[in-house]
Amino acid sequence: MEHSIIRVENLSVCYHSEKRRTRAVNKVSFNLDRGSSLGIIGESGSGKTSIALAMMGLLKKVATVDGQVYYEDKELNSLAEKERNLYRWGKIAIVFQNSLDVLNPVLTVHEQILECLLRHTVLTGPAADEKVVQLLELVGLKAGWNMHYPHQLSGGMRQRVLLAMALSCDPEILIVDEPTTALDAMAKDEIVRLLVKLHREKKFALLVISHEMQIISRLASRVMVMYGGHIVEEGLTKDVLKNPLHTYTRGLIQSSPAINPYRDLWGIPGEAEQNNPEGCPFYDRCNQKILECQAKLPLLEYISLERRVACNRGGITTLLTGRELHKSFVFKGKTIKACDNCDLTIRSGEVVVLIGESGSGKTTLASILAGVSTPDEGEVLFEGEKIKGNSATSRKNGLQIVFQDPFTATNEHLSIAQVVKEPLDILKLGTKDEKLNNVRQALQDVQLPSDDEFINKKCHCLSGGQRQRVALARSLVMEPKLLIADEISSMLDPSTQANVLRLLKGLQNTRGFAMLFITHDLALARKIADRVYVMYNGKIIEHGSAVEVFDSPKESYTNKLVDNLL
Amino acid sequence: MKYVKHIMIGIKRLTVLGKIGLGVVLMVLFLAVFSDWLALHPYSIPSGDALEAPGAGHWLGTDDLGIDIWAQICFGARISILVGFGTALLAGIGGSIIGIFSGYSGGLTDKLVMRLTDLVIVLPDLPMMIVLGAFFGPSVRNIIIVLALFSWTIPTRIVRSKVLSVKQEKYVEAAMSYGAGFWHLTLRHFLPNILPLVMVSVIRLTSRAIVAEASLAFLGLGDPISKSWGLILNHAINFKGIYFTDYWKWWVVSPITAIMLLVTAIAFISRDMERIINTKA
Repeated sequence: MEHSIIRVENLSVCYHSEKRRTRAVNKVSFNLDRGSSLGIIGESGSGKTSIALAMMGLLKKVATVDGQVYYEDKELNSLAEKERNLYRWGKIAIVFQNSLDVLNPVLTVHEQILECLLRHTVLTGPAADEKVVQLLELVGLKAGWNMHYPHQLSGGMRQRVLLAMALSCDPEILIVDEPTTALDAMAKDEIVRLLVKLHREKKFALLVISHEMQIISRLASRVMVMYGGHIVEEGLTKDVLKNPLHTYTRGLIQSSPAINPYRDLWGIPGEAEQNNPEGCPFYDRCNQKILECQAKLPLLEYISLERRVACNRGGITTLLTGRELHKSFVFKGKTIKACDNCDLTIRSGEVVVLIGESGSGKTTLASILAGVSTPDEGEVLFEGEKIKGNSATSRKNGLQIVFQDPFTATNEHLSIAQVVKEPLDILKLGTKDEKLNNVRQALQDVQLPSDDEFINKKCHCLSGGQRQRVALARSLVMEPKLLIADEISSMLDPSTQANVLRLLKGLQNTRGFAMLFITHDLALARKIADRVYVMYNGKIIEHGSAVEVFDSPKESYTNKLVDNLL
Repeated sequence: MKYVKHIMIGIKRLTVLGKIGLGVVLMVLFLAVFSDWLALHPYSIPSGDALEAPGAGHWLGTDDLGIDIWAQICFGARISILVGFGTALLAGIGGSIIGIFSGYSGGLTDKLVMRLTDLVIVLPDLPMMIVLGAFFGPSVRNIIIVLALFSWTIPTRIVRSKVLSVKQEKYVEAAMSYGAGFWHLTLRHFLPNILPLVMVSVIRLTSRAIVAEASLAFLGLGDPISKSWGLILNHAINFKGIYFTDYWKWWVVSPITAIMLLVTAIAFISRDMERIINTKA
């Protein structure tokens, strides 16, 4: 605490217009050490900028600001405007979001910066002029530009001018609000590099606000994730990126193309709309919500060193755990180890890909995990309960498996409605009409027609891709939390395969179920995987996040696989 | 109407021989049902002179007691059809149920059932049937039961092997993962798969049963009051010196022709059915 240069406690910001009050920031606390860096990330409208403005004391007129902001030991919010001005800019400076109207259009660059110097420092006359040139040099802007007007500058240059203004009084804290929005890749990179350099040289504390993960990851050593005015996760940037523990953080990371170079992009489904102040702000969009989340606001709590998460379920939950699974078959006196000491975990809402060549034991492992076959040793836990037989598959919100061959996965003698309805029939879920509605909904979800004529067709009239989708619909009526997809696309032609996979991934994204995708196709795996397990000769030889495994495989076998792909 | 259409389509897929077979079977069925009107004379009491040759009054002549042979053939058709289809249905349905059960349960039950079928197959049926026929006493019901006892193994083995293979299908695995029990699996998944096979084997059993009944009757172990085709033959053969006279030309030939016609016709149908089922619908 003694190193903290700024400490924010229970900061709340509430905007009030005539009709309604909008809570933008909700009891946020954090502190910033001298010379350190902190990033705040979140979607637009999550309250990031409001925090910055509140710290600067710029919100008094339009909003109610509660809570304390301490600079060293001085509480800033209670200070009068005049005293406050001493700190503002002199000690705490802000680089506003880049836009044309942040700068005064009738003043030249030189005049703008000069104005700051004259107002906040003791410099006057030629000394001030010289300082302006120094500052412009510092931010990498050639001296010739200082007589230009803001509209004559490019976006990157304007950003530099803003930075120069902020640095004019050698602040101890620099708040950078969206430093790179609307800049092209080159300009972005230059600004980020400039910020890194200045941070190193000037030793100010840096607070970066951005919605871009890669900016934060380069500028800040710690990161806070904001959602709906709440901090939902906090930790070291490296850790958070590698292993996000809040479903929202994970969604953000997955939406970032810079961090996921291979995978298709999928945003977080739904809109950020907070309708229940008592409950978890992320309730509507979360894929692992429970009843409790609706009524209870989760607090930011430490779950490991340097890591805090605000989630009623303690972060992303583990759905399925396979522990030390062994299974061997005996053929003609020869023992074949199909599964040799396999450990595997699947967390809620993630896509885990199991890669391996044929005969490596993937399908055996999948059938053990689904409870279809029993392991010789080891155990499988689904949501903490041991799987016995069909205990996880014979219920709603459980586990479902989709098989490789669509032709044997659906009975060709039955009609489509009968096939999709089968689990509901067996488990006697709902009335006749409810069942039929579920069936139609599931068929619509997998983009098949749901009219009477179609659902009364026999399955043998359908193509492979259609039958695979019917099989998928049968799994979906059970609203699974985990879907095991065993080579579901290997028997389909490339176009159908692409359609089925996009469909599946889309469903996975909107419904939020977790998926274990088993394949031998590396290119395919790279498109959808969050995490990857590599299986070889019945052993899991490597596992890790998709980027780790594909970019820097540890095992020679994985290396070979990746090399063959390229 | 839908079913009529289905049946029409089914008939169209039969070969010419199959169609003829179907015609013959239908004709025999017609004979059996309307024998009261088709037979001009009673089948059990004399209606003319003994051993009359076929002519206007008695189309197929008369036997040694002067009983009209056409009437006997007509009424005998009832017995043949009853025994044939009765046995086939009993053995077909019973055998299928045992087969499904055996294939579904597997393990010890399956082994026991399979050894039992082996036992029944190894037993020579005709001598066994003679013994049983003699033991239970001759009546149509007993004959059906005895014949069924010796024919259930065929559908059982066919059905069991089909169930075993269907059980490997992923959709059964999926259904079981939802907690499906024996009845659900049987009605939803096994029956549609085994029904065609059972149908073929039922048709085959029918002709087998007809021949077996005729043999039993021929040997004098049939129902003596039932007047089946086998019994007509039995009487004819027992008539001393029948081959020295011309009487065999109508007395022996007509029941044999009836039996052969019916059995051949059924064989044609079953051959066609097999072809239709094997070339996927």
